[in-house]
Amino acid sequence: MELRGVSKRFYFYEHRTSSLREWFIRRILRRPIHVRHAAFSLRNLDLRIQPGESVALLGHNGSGKSTVLRLVAGIYRPTSGTITTAGRITAVIELGAGFHPELTGVENIRLYGAVLGLTRPELQARYDEIVAFAGMDDFLDTPLKYYSSGMEARLAFSVAVCLEPAILLLDEVLAVGDQAFRARCLERLRAFHARGGTLLLVSHELDSIQELCTRGVWLRAGRVVQDADIATVLAAYRADRPPARDISREDP
Amino acid sequence: MSAGSGVLARAPRMRRFWGYRELLRGLIVRNLKVKYQRSLLGFVWTLVNPLLTVTILVVVFSHVVRIQVPQYWAFLLSGYFVWNFMLQTLSTGTWIFAEHSRLTRSVSFPSEILVFSAAGSRLIEFAAEIALILLATILLLHHSVPASYVLVPLLVLIQVVMAIGLALPIATLSVFYHDVYHALPIALASLFYLSPVFYPASMVPEALRTLYFLNPIAGLLTLYHDVVYAGQWPSAVLLAGTALQAAIVYAFGYAVFHRYASVFAEVV
Repeated sequence: MELRGVSKRFYFYEHRTSSLREWFIRRILRRPIHVRHAAFSLRNLDLRIQPGESVALLGHNGSGKSTVLRLVAGIYRPTSGTITTAGRITAVIELGAGFHPELTGVENIRLYGAVLGLTRPELQARYDEIVAFAGMDDFLDTPLKYYSSGMEARLAFSVAVCLEPAILLLDEVLAVGDQAFRARCLERLRAFHARGGTLLLVSHELDSIQELCTRGVWLRAGRVVQDADIATVLAAYRADRPPARDISREDP
Repeated sequence: MSAGSGVLARAPRMRRFWGYRELLRGLIVRNLKVKYQRSLLGFVWTLVNPLLTVTILVVVFSHVVRIQVPQYWAFLLSGYFVWNFMLQTLSTGTWIFAEHSRLTRSVSFPSEILVFSAAGSRLIEFAAEIALILLATILLLHHSVPASYVLVPLLVLIQVVMAIGLALPIATLSVFYHDVYHALPIALASLFYLSPVFYPASMVPEALRTLYFLNPIAGLLTLYHDVVYAGQWPSAVLLAGTALQAAIVYAFGYAVFHRYASVFAEVV
């Protein structure tokens, strides 16, 4: 997987025209249709990840971590630069996107598998494993709306983690389920890595990261601050905790 | 991930779409399951609404405003359900990207599948409806099986291509401009009167007919009237012309969708 000179520009709208009436009025008055300013979420990013590496993206909110994942997954297109990937990519940006509350656990497993791009035989081959991993046989024929949010996340995670893609992208989804389930998730991801799978994850769970990843990439304002082995980067990152004032600004 | 156009660039897109066929199937099954869950009469409800409308139209247009069409009920049946298919596919198709915004924002998949699934689940219902209509017209109108009925699958194909071709650009526009939600019902209400649903296209003055048939639904409904109601072969010009219209509508609709689909994840 390689990102070469990748930039991603987003527009932040002070005013966004979203009705045709307004569009006509603004046209006639010769006012700008949108009032916006561009901000780079990523700026000229180079990142090369070898097959079989497990890499953690670190950084504060808004530093561009999720943008990297979405670009690699093909959800966003880069404003400039090129991204090349090899092999099937499974991206879990939001757990259970595509789940429907009226469908049962089994039906949702099938649908979510299809959302992640599995064909029917592929899903069939993994079905038992997914069910066993989720470990909630009693609820599989119950509509999802009766699930607790923890159970729902658990089901989604089981599907995602059993897919065995070449590249697995995880966005802050490690904090799922109870302690025992989390331990099994980490175990599963370690096994995935051991079998040669490439792992790229975003998480604020620094302990999990330390266990799972061998390399850390620290992003700040869309640029790489540090790219080294995980212990080095984590130590530097921990030392760089922002003052309290900054935290409140990030998360108002 | 190349954004090129032309036939060469289309092949990988089609292959990608094919790779997600299980998702299309899954979404269609989900739509139907969710719709019919916990309803005892299920599919009957889908029939009640259009049948009630048809009954009212029959009463009004054969006893009040007397439209001179023999066996008017059969004429209405042969076109109204097709109109209803277009209406519902367009209105559900328009919402579809907003409805699945979580999916669009967090998964990379060919998002036209959502529009296809709206048409697909409607198509399964329509297949049952048209089967009943064919049965009714065979038993009560023609008293035999007209040879022209072999064309029905072709008409259904034209209808689906046309519906998706119309729904794609409307759904695309609705991602950026919410006016579509207000404008679409008005447009569809006007289109009802401008399409030969409750009157035959032959009643339209000769001078206006070319203009009238620019509405692709007019050709489609007339084909159904010829094939199902009259039990006759339609004119080759009408059949070829309507098929061509459907192809043009689809090509245009897909082009509009494809031009903007790559930014849906950032907007929706």
